[in-house]
Amino acid sequence: MRVSYEWLKELVDVPDDPQELVREFTRTGTEVEAVERTGASLDHVVVGQVVSKEPHPDSDHMWLCKVSVGGQNVNKSGEPEPLQIVCGAQNFEQGDKIVVAMIGAVLPGDFKIKKSKLRGVESCGMNCSERELGLGDSHEGILILPADAPVGMPFADYRGMSDTVIDCEMTPNRPDCLSMTGVATEVSAIFDVDTHMEMPRIKHEHGVGPMGLEGVHHLVDVQIDDPELCPRYTARVVRNVKIGPSPEWLARRVTAAGARPINNVVDVTNYVMFLTGQPLHAFDLGKLTEVDGKRHIVVRSARDGEHLTTLDEQDRELASDMLVISDGRDRAVALAGVMGGLNSDIDGTTVDVLLESACFDSGNVSRTSRSLGLMSEASIRYERQVDAASCDEVSAIAAALFEECCGAEVVRGMIDVYPRKTEAATIDLRPDRVRALCGAPIEDDFMVRRLERLGCGVVKGRHGDTHELRVVPPTNRPDLTREIDLVEEILRLWGEGDVEPTLPAARNHAGGLTVEQRRVRKIGKTLRACGLSETSTYCFADPRDLARMGMAKEIKGVPVKIIRPLVSEQSEMRRDLLPGLLRAVAYNKDHGVRNVKLYEIGRVLFGREHKSLPEEKTYVAGVLSGAWDDDAWNCKYVAMDFFDGKGVVEELLDALRIQKARFRVPESEHTAWMQPGLAAEIVVRGTTLGWVGNIHPKTLDLFGISDPVVGFELSVDALLNLAQDQLPYQDVPTLPGVEVDLALVVDEDVTYEQLIQRIASAGGKLLRDVRLFDVYRDPVRVGAHKKSMAFSLTYRADDHTLTSAEVDKAHNRLLTKVLKSTGGEVRS
Amino acid sequence: MTLPGRRLSSGTQHLINQIREEIEDIFCGLGYIVADGPYVETTYYNFTALNAPENHPSRSAKDSFYVEDNAPEGKPPLMLGDSDVLLRTQTSGMQVHFMEENKPPIYMICPGTVFRPDTADANHLPQFTQVEGLVVDEGISFGDLKGTLDYFTREIFGKDRATRYRPHFFPFTEPSCEVDVSCGVCHGKGCRFCKNTGWLEILGCGMVDPNVFEYVGIDPERYTGFAFGIGVERVAALRYDLPDLRMLMEGDMRFLRQF
Repeated sequence: MRVSYEWLKELVDVPDDPQELVREFTRTGTEVEAVERTGASLDHVVVGQVVSKEPHPDSDHMWLCKVSVGGQNVNKSGEPEPLQIVCGAQNFEQGDKIVVAMIGAVLPGDFKIKKSKLRGVESCGMNCSERELGLGDSHEGILILPADAPVGMPFADYRGMSDTVIDCEMTPNRPDCLSMTGVATEVSAIFDVDTHMEMPRIKHEHGVGPMGLEGVHHLVDVQIDDPELCPRYTARVVRNVKIGPSPEWLARRVTAAGARPINNVVDVTNYVMFLTGQPLHAFDLGKLTEVDGKRHIVVRSARDGEHLTTLDEQDRELASDMLVISDGRDRAVALAGVMGGLNSDIDGTTVDVLLESACFDSGNVSRTSRSLGLMSEASIRYERQVDAASCDEVSAIAAALFEECCGAEVVRGMIDVYPRKTEAATIDLRPDRVRALCGAPIEDDFMVRRLERLGCGVVKGRHGDTHELRVVPPTNRPDLTREIDLVEEILRLWGEGDVEPTLPAARNHAGGLTVEQRRVRKIGKTLRACGLSETSTYCFADPRDLARMGMAKEIKGVPVKIIRPLVSEQSEMRRDLLPGLLRAVAYNKDHGVRNVKLYEIGRVLFGREHKSLPEEKTYVAGVLSGAWDDDAWNCKYVAMDFFDGKGVVEELLDALRIQKARFRVPESEHTAWMQPGLAAEIVVRGTTLGWVGNIHPKTLDLFGISDPVVGFELSVDALLNLAQDQLPYQDVPTLPGVEVDLALVVDEDVTYEQLIQRIASAGGKLLRDVRLFDVYRDPVRVGAHKKSMAFSLTYRADDHTLTSAEVDKAHNRLLTKVLKSTGGEVRS
Repeated sequence: MTLPGRRLSSGTQHLINQIREEIEDIFCGLGYIVADGPYVETTYYNFTALNAPENHPSRSAKDSFYVEDNAPEGKPPLMLGDSDVLLRTQTSGMQVHFMEENKPPIYMICPGTVFRPDTADANHLPQFTQVEGLVVDEGISFGDLKGTLDYFTREIFGKDRATRYRPHFFPFTEPSCEVDVSCGVCHGKGCRFCKNTGWLEILGCGMVDPNVFEYVGIDPERYTGFAFGIGVERVAALRYDLPDLRMLMEGDMRFLRQF
């Protein structure tokens, strides 16, 4: 809403400085988007007087003038000095008051005024025509001002063209503020000052009909099909309008409000809309179909596929949920509340005008405007709700202005179909409740006074021992229906900034993170300690993602599909974290980052057949590519491989105190995104937690990555289920242990897992620790299809230092058992 | 001796999650619990029970990502939007879930991802992070709202920052306001960073609208409350003067490792 300060001044007492109003608007909840000074293009343009006029010595049609501009131009001793100006116009005399563009002025069309020489004579400015000032088309000669124009006054001030327009963003609950009268009322409540809103009145109403005794009913009737969609429709007729340009004041107001002046009839309807917030529409009565000597206005639903060319000359196809105005049953002449039809518009030939001032359902207008992609000043106001109770008054204001500005004769009376009367709400307001809710000592008098300023009727009463106010808000405030609505009005005017801050005196509650929330944080902390950095990727997915991974559709359920995605690559919700992380790897590699170590804890969504809502699960996933770090002078790194990924997972399981995890060879048809042999499923006590493995080169290729990537993905829900906060304490050994190395040569198909189990069970209670420190393959020294695995075994007893005999005995027993059960031999 | 040391470089936490955890810790210190809610919501929780009228523009498909409803049978026709199911556009729906499942006193925050159909650019992401807050108790006043958010603002931006409360409109709170923090660059004098206003908008808040209480069966005469919503990306952008929000989603190690 563009609020002209000059216009506002006419309606309410405002501060001299617009900035003061801007500050108060901000304080009380009207957001100011911009403050714009109009008339700025006329800087350095002032009222002047021709002191002398001599023929130009070197031209037979130009004049050499001295033009006084008062104190606007001074000589070295500070005294006013007339400007020397060369002028080609012929329509002025010595002593005339004229408009002077001094050096530095920039006239419309980016016409800069500079010191210049015309046929050898210096000229220090320009005497202006109307056209040069952007005021009209006249270029017959320069503009001559009345004799009382004060010399030296800025021309914009002289013509009242200086204005400040405050562009306000009105919140959707304030339809009243989409009007100058509404804003004036708001200003009056903010500053506790009077409004003076005198509206023009119709001077004379004319009869019609053969005897001149009939009123508007003789010419027009109105029928509303559905009162829900049109609670009120009023119509007036004005005759014999003289279409022409609007008077200057009217054009100025309409321009300030943001519309383009068109002609006096259209400008009046726009002006009154900006003034009152009530959209009006003017039909050319002559273009409406006449049946039985009358025009028949019908407010009806459009027919599916019906066409209407709107005023913007666009052909619109309508649907049955849209409301139209038609003349008779058939021809639509306007899209109700949105825009008029071209078939009944006001043009240069218009003589008689039918004026609509009506109320349409906000939801219906909103939907129509949205589905046609057509917004107008009218639809913006109807969408937020227009006050049906004032349609009649507004119609009269417009008629009075047609009389004044268009020379129209107002036909007597107004058609008023008003099937649903607007009832003003009555609200009981408890001042004590206001104070309690706000936590502020707001006095009763303040409440009463400011509510009255807002246009509410306020009656004081008592309810038992407490004071109560009975408040009747004005009908243009549909947002005020409950006590809380009034609390808001009072608080924002009193000042939210002045409420003393307090903290709730909270009792009977405690806060903090849950065990699960703390564990999720621990997952992140552990991965960061492992050197991975957290990232965040989109929850959207490309429908091709799962196919790129070779992930089986059946285990991932149906996707959650977005009906109108922004881009096709983000048209469903992700069912896996890995694709997003692979995109991050590709981004890094493409930007020259070699070493990538990323993790994400994020949600994945699995749609379900016959259920509206999907299943939402949280997963943690990571990717490693490149080396652990760049080489340093004292540290060299090799490329990360499967066991770096597995190590991270093992570290994470340790941190969550999850024991007995098994890394299993996965069924390859379910893990096509991993390289066979470098992939594992992680299983704890029968629960599959997730996987770790080298991403298959085919998948990497589809994501544009050429370097190897190790990844893992685990279910956070499963991790939380299995996690423990603590394990039982174990005594720290006080006695020394004995370390024995053992290198076993076994067949290639004997796994580390099998071997370690055999060693652990064969070792008895003296064996305390087993650590694999080498794996060695050599067809000659070890043998084909065999490997050597070297372990460091620690033997220890808790109650005494072991003798070498005890160790030998235990170790030999272990050896016998292990060799027997694995078919291996000790490497010599 | 001046040679660089041998470093075991640990990883970093994503900026948004750092700030989210910081916010969680501030409110846990004030006795709040942290709740979590679904990304996919029905229009009831995302709009209706939050007092948004049937024709509220925020319901339109232009402002929300609707998703295909796999069980659409028997649903009433919609005013705006494509379906009865959508990606939540705000964490505020958790207010309703939480009040349905818990009795006052309620001191709760709900951090989470939300979605709106804004094409990703320097200042917008179609997916971003909010922290919802909700307090419902006997005797809660607007002063309590201010005290709480003043405390939060100083904790997160620094003790020397001032706050400003501007009345605003949200369907589910009344009175409502937007909160600004004084500009950390110019300290209120006006500069490029704060677009010469001296203030930076950081959150929206208000007293819980009695209509919302009615939806969840809480007596609005006995209990009052306040709610607020903090944009985490906004806090991050203000703290670091980030030139482009898209960096938050790219996973660039050179960006992530700065924080």
